[in-house]
Amino acid sequence: MKARWGFFLIPPFVVTFILMAGSQYVFIKGSFYRDLGLGRIGDTLELANYVKFFSDSFYLHTLWLTIEVSALATIFTLIMGYPVAYVIARMRSRFAMIMLATIVISTFITIVIKVFGLIIIFAADGWLNRFLVGIGILDQPFTIIGSEAGVVVGLMHFSLGFGVLLLYSVVQTIPRSLEEAARVHGASRVKTFWRVVIPLSLPGVTIGGLMIFNMCMGAFTSAALLGGGRVFTLPVLIQRTVIMETKYSMGGTIAAILVVSVLLINLLSILILKRMRATRYVIV
Amino acid sequence: MSQSSWSNPRFVFSRLLTIGWCGSVYLFLLLPLVVIAGASFHNASGYAVMVFPPEDPTIKWYLEISDQQYKALALSVGLGVLTAVVSCLLGVPAALGLIRSNIHAKGLLSVFFRIPLQIPSVVIGIAFLHFYYAVGRMTGWYATGTFLGLAIGHFFHATPYVIGTTAAILQRFDTRLEEAALSLGASRWRAFRRVTLPVIAPGIYAGALYSFMVSFGDVPISIFLTKPGFTTYPVELFFSMENEFDPSVLASATLVIVFSLGIMLIVQRIVGLDTLLESRGG
Repeated sequence: MKARWGFFLIPPFVVTFILMAGSQYVFIKGSFYRDLGLGRIGDTLELANYVKFFSDSFYLHTLWLTIEVSALATIFTLIMGYPVAYVIARMRSRFAMIMLATIVISTFITIVIKVFGLIIIFAADGWLNRFLVGIGILDQPFTIIGSEAGVVVGLMHFSLGFGVLLLYSVVQTIPRSLEEAARVHGASRVKTFWRVVIPLSLPGVTIGGLMIFNMCMGAFTSAALLGGGRVFTLPVLIQRTVIMETKYSMGGTIAAILVVSVLLINLLSILILKRMRATRYVIV
Repeated sequence: MSQSSWSNPRFVFSRLLTIGWCGSVYLFLLLPLVVIAGASFHNASGYAVMVFPPEDPTIKWYLEISDQQYKALALSVGLGVLTAVVSCLLGVPAALGLIRSNIHAKGLLSVFFRIPLQIPSVVIGIAFLHFYYAVGRMTGWYATGTFLGLAIGHFFHATPYVIGTTAAILQRFDTRLEEAALSLGASRWRAFRRVTLPVIAPGIYAGALYSFMVSFGDVPISIFLTKPGFTTYPVELFFSMENEFDPSVLASATLVIVFSLGIMLIVQRIVGLDTLLESRGG
């Protein structure tokens, strides 16, 4: 008698389906009611909120800003994270495990606390500024909190640990022997890295980069706190619109637009993955 | 290898560059935690009174942690535990079904179960807020600002992690072990409990850890579903940073860091780092 393992799928499926379909349906439908402010909404389904979003330069600027800071954070995360991932993946000692464990542990600490620490470090009267002014590098305190640069730093902090782990698994898929072969044939260490390691990890890095980008697009806590109430990304704007302005359906509209943009980026990533696979078959 | 020696300046340069690069990444990741812990022992109020080593060290902030913060911490821990339990109750059967059944839609189903990871947390938060209002209008019971309402949002988001960690281990599981137990006369349940369960247990523990941590640290979902006087610790911390600053928050944040480290150390001892890494990201 073969066990009917398929039946095990039913309870989790039903629960997840009800919660997912229910919540997504209600909020997307809600986003089509005109928002009258103060928690009141119109009683017909219409595109008013969406028209408002795409005709108001403030909202459009926010969408653009979200993409911009997420892209910057992704690029910096990849640039900072890749060498670390490479070093860990190629290390032959027990120390590699300790380095990995440290990254895993740091990703588990809640982002609010980490951002709290960042703010203490970067605050105008903070530690870093006192130090820099103290040794004479800066004339007067300078802070990134409340600026786009601050938000980028916050997003990087959110994604860097995850990024290193992701890139580590990418580098691990590249056989060490390929690098040794290049070295034996006279390529320098630098040349091997640029001509062998980087090209081979490009597909993985691309997909990883898109995952990090998605993560940053949806990041709330770090963007809200390092934006200091002056820089708004879409997630921050959603929370403000709902909690502070009690515009529930407008918040829903912005959320729906955020999800659609993230979805489009995911589709793009699948498309790129397919194209890359196709070209790789041609090469191999 | 004459190239790899400390008398070769290029080798020295590349070594130093590597160490410097990795060092800065680790410094960037870890310094904020060290700064909080350091500042929590400093005897003067205000944001930036972080002096290393703390001058005039004191534990007074630890004694001034408010009841409100303790209440929020207790809520977060309770919520995390409930989230971990429910996520396992849903996630382990889902993983078993996904790996072992032979229904056609398996690929599609595994994509379906991962959707909660693809939806930004803020959107999950606002979606559940709308959902609870809609349900409230129909039934008269509003789940916003209740423990149950928070827990539902959290386990919805956390279940995919358990599915991921358990499925990763199940995939490697040799089903012949279970068949051997069956042919030796064990009942189906006994074979599962005595053979399969012990093997996949690390995956379940890892998944439980992930869902606990996801719930315990969450701001974007909880911020929509809590209410004044009924907040989780991260939301409490979030608002205290946006509004007035109270140095005792440094002390409670340090306690939370130590608590998180402790839990992870224990789980890592039980399941091993490999399991945690392998299943990273659900």
